[in-house]
Amino acid sequence: MNKLRSVAIVVIALLWLAPTYLILVNSFTATDDYDGTVAWFPRGTALLENMAAAMDAANLGPAMLHSLLYAVVAGVLAVLVAALAGFVLTVVPGRGKVFWFWLIYAGSLFPAQAFLRPLFTGYADTGLYNTHLGLYLIYIATCIPFSFFIVRNHMITLPREIAEAAQLDGAGWWTVFGRFYLPLSRSALAAAFIFQFVWVWNELLFGITLSYGEGVRPVMAALAGLQSTYGTVGPPVILAGALLVSLPTVIVFLAFQRVFASTLSTRI
Amino acid sequence: MTATTTRRGPGRQDLPRQPARRTRLASHPGRAPAPLTTRIAFLAPAAVLVMVLSLAPFVMTVWRSFFDDSLVDPHFNGWGSYARIITDPVIVRSLVNTFFWLIGTVAIPVGLGLAIAALTNSVSWGKYARLAIVMPYALSGTAVAVIWNFILRDDGALNGLLEGLGLGSLAHAWLLEWPANTIMLIVANSWQATGVAVILYLVGLQGVPRETIEAAALDGVAGVRRFFYIVFPQLRATTAVVMGISLANGLKSFDLIWVLTNGGPGRATETLAVSMYWQSFVLQRPGSGAAIAVILTVVVVAVSVGYLRRQLRTS
Repeated sequence: MNKLRSVAIVVIALLWLAPTYLILVNSFTATDDYDGTVAWFPRGTALLENMAAAMDAANLGPAMLHSLLYAVVAGVLAVLVAALAGFVLTVVPGRGKVFWFWLIYAGSLFPAQAFLRPLFTGYADTGLYNTHLGLYLIYIATCIPFSFFIVRNHMITLPREIAEAAQLDGAGWWTVFGRFYLPLSRSALAAAFIFQFVWVWNELLFGITLSYGEGVRPVMAALAGLQSTYGTVGPPVILAGALLVSLPTVIVFLAFQRVFASTLSTRI
Repeated sequence: MTATTTRRGPGRQDLPRQPARRTRLASHPGRAPAPLTTRIAFLAPAAVLVMVLSLAPFVMTVWRSFFDDSLVDPHFNGWGSYARIITDPVIVRSLVNTFFWLIGTVAIPVGLGLAIAALTNSVSWGKYARLAIVMPYALSGTAVAVIWNFILRDDGALNGLLEGLGLGSLAHAWLLEWPANTIMLIVANSWQATGVAVILYLVGLQGVPRETIEAAALDGVAGVRRFFYIVFPQLRATTAVVMGISLANGLKSFDLIWVLTNGGPGRATETLAVSMYWQSFVLQRPGSGAAIAVILTVVVVAVSVGYLRRQLRTS
């Protein structure tokens, strides 16, 4: 029984590793050595050259820089904005909390396709189309609902005595938020940020719909563009490009596995 | 994976409605109420951004779906767009594919995720095997599409492998023939998405009380039977979460299909998420595009709400 279990685990793990292994092996093949067949064993050491060729062919460098900025800026701002809303809807007394919770949270229920075309025409009319600002705005807006959910769920577990004691000492709501709730929510804020960073970095749909220029488009749009040149630049370069743009999220994912696990179980 | 030390996310037990806390709030009459302007200042950035950039455009999509496809000066035609798309063979195929995706994206993550989590849970080296399965979750749909294109194209790795093994007769134009292409897309999606299910089931398994398993062992219930009679029923809440996440993600999945097949050939691998893009942005038929977007939204929200209510009940 235990032997059977071990065999099953090994088989499944190997099946899962096979695509990753193939990508690695083939992205090491120098373009000139690629003979149109799949390499099952390493045929070269040209990974870095292939990555450089991919950066060249699809202008991946600027695209990666843009996406890094989109992911960091949108992640930080969305989490802060979400924290403000989470705070007012958990700690500050007032009416209509359920309504506002659902209004903000609804943003994460709808698929992007549901609002894409009006967004596109709105962007075209206001000059936001193909601008950095336009992408920052949509990434912040789409990151808010889930960050809000995470941060709010954390703040609701904090003892309300904190706010009450601070208020007795004369602190206003902004002070209560900035001095107490924000620092006490550090872990939830970080979890939400990491999740949204990976989300924005991996995002394609808004990238190809709301931008086209190489000075604006995010990294996955650039990778999709590279993929469409399959015949001309050759598989090793394209696979190396896919590896290159996947590195940041894989590293983040491996470093913060625990955050992902705990955040996932609250994900809807 | 270091999931043995994983704790459950904070939010499971916290529901939007908190009657207990309301009464508690009311019992503190001494607390200073916040001025309305302060509350608005805290709430406005989130509410305005979400309203302006997703909710308002969503309402416009719903409204637009009742007009025809003219780009300038469209005419109101009631359910006309809906009637047209559900008689369009391409969209009917897309609906069929979406249904495949619904089945595939539930059955595979639930089945495999559960199996992998259960198999690796009590083996000391299990975490290394798990890592191999969980890691693709970090990849984008676009990167997954690039990888699987290399495997599935006519001269790709899978056909190469089959020929190398002397099974050349099984080689296939994987991406060119329906339904093989849709099935392979679901396989590629599962390769990426099963990791989530594994993580969630692992967290769930750690919540199963040891006593129930020990009691079953004393009664002589062992192995697979013990798992299905004792352990699995206690994972019901986890199964609901896994199904909800997998369904919602599968239905929304765009980048994998778009980059791998463009929805083709002949729009044969489209799901609703891709059809909307085709109708709205490639063919420039905003009325039909909006109608598809509305149908997709109804399906996604129905799935999410069913799962949400489940989650509310079980917690």
